[in-house]
Amino acid sequence: MSYLLDAQGIGITFGGLKAVQDLTLQLPSGVLYGLIGPNGAGKTTAFNLITGVYAPQTGSVKLAGDVVSGLRPHQIAKAGLSRTFQNIRLFGELSVLENVMLGSHVRGKHKLLSTLLRTPKFVAQEEAMRERAMALLEIFDLGKLANEQAKNLPYGDQRRLEICRALATEPKVLLLDEPAAGMNPSEKKSLASTIRTIRDRFGLAILLIEHDMGLVMEICERITVLDHGQVIAAGTPNEIQADPKVIEAYLGVEASHA
Amino acid sequence: MKTLAQYITEVPKGRAFKPVAVFVPWVVCVAVALAVQYLAPAVVNEYWQSVLQRMGVFIIAAVSLNIVNGFTGQFSMGHAGFMAIGGYIGAGVTFYGSLLMHGSVNDPSFAVQGTMLMLAGIVAGACVAAAAGYLVGLPSLRLRGDYLAIVTLGFGEIIRVVLELTPKQISEVDAVRASPITSFFHLNGATGFTSTPAYATLFWIWLFVAITCVVAYRMKTSSSGRAFLSIREDEIAARAMGVDLTKYKVRAFVLAAFFGGVAGALYSHTGVNPSPTDAGFQRSFDIIIMVVLGGLGSVSGSVLAAIILVLMPELLRDLNQYRLVLYALLLIVMMLVRPQGLFGVKEIWDLSRGERKQFKKGGSA
Repeated sequence: MSYLLDAQGIGITFGGLKAVQDLTLQLPSGVLYGLIGPNGAGKTTAFNLITGVYAPQTGSVKLAGDVVSGLRPHQIAKAGLSRTFQNIRLFGELSVLENVMLGSHVRGKHKLLSTLLRTPKFVAQEEAMRERAMALLEIFDLGKLANEQAKNLPYGDQRRLEICRALATEPKVLLLDEPAAGMNPSEKKSLASTIRTIRDRFGLAILLIEHDMGLVMEICERITVLDHGQVIAAGTPNEIQADPKVIEAYLGVEASHA
Repeated sequence: MKTLAQYITEVPKGRAFKPVAVFVPWVVCVAVALAVQYLAPAVVNEYWQSVLQRMGVFIIAAVSLNIVNGFTGQFSMGHAGFMAIGGYIGAGVTFYGSLLMHGSVNDPSFAVQGTMLMLAGIVAGACVAAAAGYLVGLPSLRLRGDYLAIVTLGFGEIIRVVLELTPKQISEVDAVRASPITSFFHLNGATGFTSTPAYATLFWIWLFVAITCVVAYRMKTSSSGRAFLSIREDEIAARAMGVDLTKYKVRAFVLAAFFGGVAGALYSHTGVNPSPTDAGFQRSFDIIIMVVLGGLGSVSGSVLAAIILVLMPELLRDLNQYRLVLYALLLIVMMLVRPQGLFGVKEIWDLSRGERKQFKKGGSA
């Protein structure tokens, strides 16, 4: 079976620290996949390996059959992988609309001369970028905030704007790094439905890092658990919940002397 | 969801092509230049006309530096170096070119060809400055903040020292004709390059001012401009969204250096002798102050700040030695009151709209 995102045995060592070791993640198209683990388990490092922030020292990453490990982040984005960040990274001084328009940058052409001469091609592309960005914003209910500066948005809207911007790059696989961080239960609930909607509407595979077990168990179809940089379990939510190694990683071992 | 490519095919042809938006700015450029050329002599004396020339040069310098420091957020402190490259090459082309072609410099009968030579010199100077900008832009991929500032500062100093080491200017026609290429490098060392005819009239200077502003503004309000701004806002997010940091940082440096070169080349055709100290950090700081005062990222802010900072020493001239103290004080007050500069990243017309709205809101509450 061929996978949309296929990371085979990727790993990286920082000095003496084995941050991620021999991690294999295989996402078929349309899957909602969870990557969980205690703090410091190496989840975000795994994201950084897949998105090219760090080059994996071992293993390889394939996206839709093409090897992307070793490429630079912007090339991987162009290949069809987009992400959000644990600590929101919007372009604060730019407007909400411009943030999303920048997302579609990677799908456009930006020749210096046509930019300066405002050729019909250039104008058509700008119009298309604007219209597509507005359509995306409407889906996320951010349309009326289009001209606000991104930094002035409330927290929940910023999270959704980041997802919106990532979708503007026309990804095949979307990586969400703790999208529910700092959200209250009702916001989490609406986030869960948003993530499902994205998957259904855009036909993406989504890889989700999350601390909130309720959310992960509710929406993910498959889960991989990391601890100390190593995979300790992989399977369906039910299998994961029953796995003694996972329980140990999260809760510790019960004192055995009685 | 449709892809961007599908959206592009759906944009109506009529909407895609807006002749007014495309051509009118260039017409306005020429109109501005003509207006300054013909109105200025009617209104002000020759001294103030020379102030207008210097003002134009510094507007070009400030607006172009804004592309790197303002749009892209890469703190360059070597802009005077690019200006000096343009200035020396422009002056060299006109001076030695006149000697080669006409046998003398500053002959009124050679004025038309001389002006052509100046334009050739401006283009040559700007291109060499752009090439230097490419070389300086490359380290900006690995260096951030202070470290990049130090590298660019060093670049300006290198240019200054190299210029100081050049041999004496040649003014004998035969010597120049004997070896035209080697004589071009006789840039007169620490004394500065002299006797360049003043072909840069108000028309040429303000034409380039207008062109620089149109180019900078069109860059800012385009997909490339958003890429510049995204790098300034957050490099990590920008590259994750597919912005090629290398390409856009270098593009910003090359563009800025090109117009820095234009500014320098024009300046050395206004009767001011380019000298090695022009490449030094003092001049770079002057331009940085203009950019910061106008607002990092604001084209109209840079223009206004350059106008203010060129005029201020002139208007305060009566105060003699106190004027520099007052000048510095005004800058300090300005930075305390508006640390984001006059307009921040916005343009003068955006700001007036926004503040009117705020005012209305405040009034109704």
